[in-house]
Amino acid sequence: MAVLKLNTSKSMKHPLTNNYRLLLFYSLFWGIIAAINIVLQVLWYNVPITYSLLDSGTNYVLYPLLGSSIWYSIRYNSLEEVSVGRLILFHFIAASILCGIWVYISYAIYQPFIYDDNKFLKDGLPPKIFAGYLMYIIYLVFFYAVNYYQSLKEKIKKEVEYKALIREAELQALKSQINPHFLFNSLNSISSLTVSNPEKAQEMVINLSAFMRYSLMHNEKEMVSFSRELDNIKLYLSIEKVRFGKKLNAEFEIDSHCMEAEIPNMILQPLFENAIKYGVYETTEQVTIKTVCECDGNTLKISIVNDYDASTIKRRGEGIGLRNIRKRMEIIYNQPDLIKITDHKTSFEVQLIIPQKQAVS
Amino acid sequence: MSEKLQTLIIEDEELARNLLRSYLKDNPDIEVIGECENGFDGIKAINDKKPDLVFLDIQMPKITGFEMIELLDFKPQIIFTTAYDQYALKAFELNAIDYLLKPFSKDRLLAAIDKVKHRIQNEEDNTEKLEELSNFRPGEEFIDRVVVKDRHKIHIITVDQIRYIESLDDYVMIYTYDGRHMKQKTMKYFETNLDPKNFIRIHRSYIVQVENIAEIQQYEKESYIVILKDKDKTKLKVSKTGYKRIKEVLHF
Repeated sequence: MAVLKLNTSKSMKHPLTNNYRLLLFYSLFWGIIAAINIVLQVLWYNVPITYSLLDSGTNYVLYPLLGSSIWYSIRYNSLEEVSVGRLILFHFIAASILCGIWVYISYAIYQPFIYDDNKFLKDGLPPKIFAGYLMYIIYLVFFYAVNYYQSLKEKIKKEVEYKALIREAELQALKSQINPHFLFNSLNSISSLTVSNPEKAQEMVINLSAFMRYSLMHNEKEMVSFSRELDNIKLYLSIEKVRFGKKLNAEFEIDSHCMEAEIPNMILQPLFENAIKYGVYETTEQVTIKTVCECDGNTLKISIVNDYDASTIKRRGEGIGLRNIRKRMEIIYNQPDLIKITDHKTSFEVQLIIPQKQAVS
Repeated sequence: MSEKLQTLIIEDEELARNLLRSYLKDNPDIEVIGECENGFDGIKAINDKKPDLVFLDIQMPKITGFEMIELLDFKPQIIFTTAYDQYALKAFELNAIDYLLKPFSKDRLLAAIDKVKHRIQNEEDNTEKLEELSNFRPGEEFIDRVVVKDRHKIHIITVDQIRYIESLDDYVMIYTYDGRHMKQKTMKYFETNLDPKNFIRIHRSYIVQVENIAEIQQYEKESYIVILKDKDKTKLKVSKTGYKRIKEVLHF
């Protein structure tokens, strides 16, 4: 329903003025009915041609013209939103008004042709009123069908767009996960360790495999527990620690009841990757990456702060990594501003706010 | 060639250095004379020790392998090492420069050394090649810093520190908020590699940071000067095209 509502402004347009093919069919349909009626009346019932033309004209030209306005009566009275009683009452009143106008105009046209001896037009009043109501119902069904069809088409279109958006976001997230630079440098470290410390080489291969496996799982499961995501981050940092040694110092300050909170899979890794890229890569001194997590009612707050050397680099706000996370968070939670970035000049802070379905305590 | 190649390793990761050292340990052609963990130390070591061959990592803290080359007085034979860098690879291929992709095998390393030996025997000079390499920036991004050397000190200038750049024949003078630095680069290089939203080439001889412009004055009919936001109120000439560019960027 939410998806449908997005596009109501477009479908408010009248289908007949909006779709010329439909208008053509509509005119053709009533034209053929009028022609058949005239032929039958004149040839079979010997009705004078003038009367037959008047009758068909009012029934099959005037009514279709007036009746096209029935669209608005159905457009503003959705079957889902209005109760049956109100709906029937509304349409009864609308039908009466329409029939009143129609009959009035019809007889205004008939007037010059009605003579005392002419029963045909005079006595035709009750069945004409009846026909007016009947035709109202036919129009109603027709327009409801058109409306339904249009909504369905829009919904399908929206869904396709939505799916494409999700796929694209997933793809982007996936791309940012396994940074080739990280992968090849890690493999180089392993290559070196096989000579100097085979046991450590083995440990690193195992850690790297576990990390890669978790990354690939991203496709299957959107949400994971915070403790799992955190384990993966520790794995990632342990791999990087082998490369960078003392230069990388990771500190965690985690509120213990945050562990069961839910968090999108692989949302943290790109943040740590950035912290390493801008912090550790660019300096010769030790860099601390500090992670602080706290739960507060229905949100999980994660803050990641890394030192950086402002004299050698100028951070340009949001890179692709951060943009992807922001996009993904927006798609998942349908809320803006769940990611906050602060440049403290000697340190850089990213704060994530993860809404929780259930209160974590 | 009877003498061993005097070789320097410049690489920030310890494990990568260890591996390279172990590959080179028993090599009869190579004598490792030093190892450096960052680009600053690397420049000093190259200028002091004048090695024959340098293994140079591209991604390093402080300054990158590329930036290092710009600052070398003495240009030895260089074999670059990198884990992954599409742009750098393109540059290497274009300029026929030796490189090793990490992780690499001992055989691959020996092949690269053989090529270098061959070049030294033929007395090929690679200064020009390396200079061309440092001018090559196939990346889509604009530069965010410039490295310069004054006598013995290396400065890293982030682009927001640049007030304006003046052309001096084969050199440029970069005026920052706390001094000026000479660099061997072309105006063309800065014109194409600085973000044109922030830097405008106002004249054949000048590139100015937009933020640093205080005023634009008409000087004669159809000739203008800009006045900069500094104590001396530096005045710079503006060419006709330069004036057009300023108008475009500042929307007036």
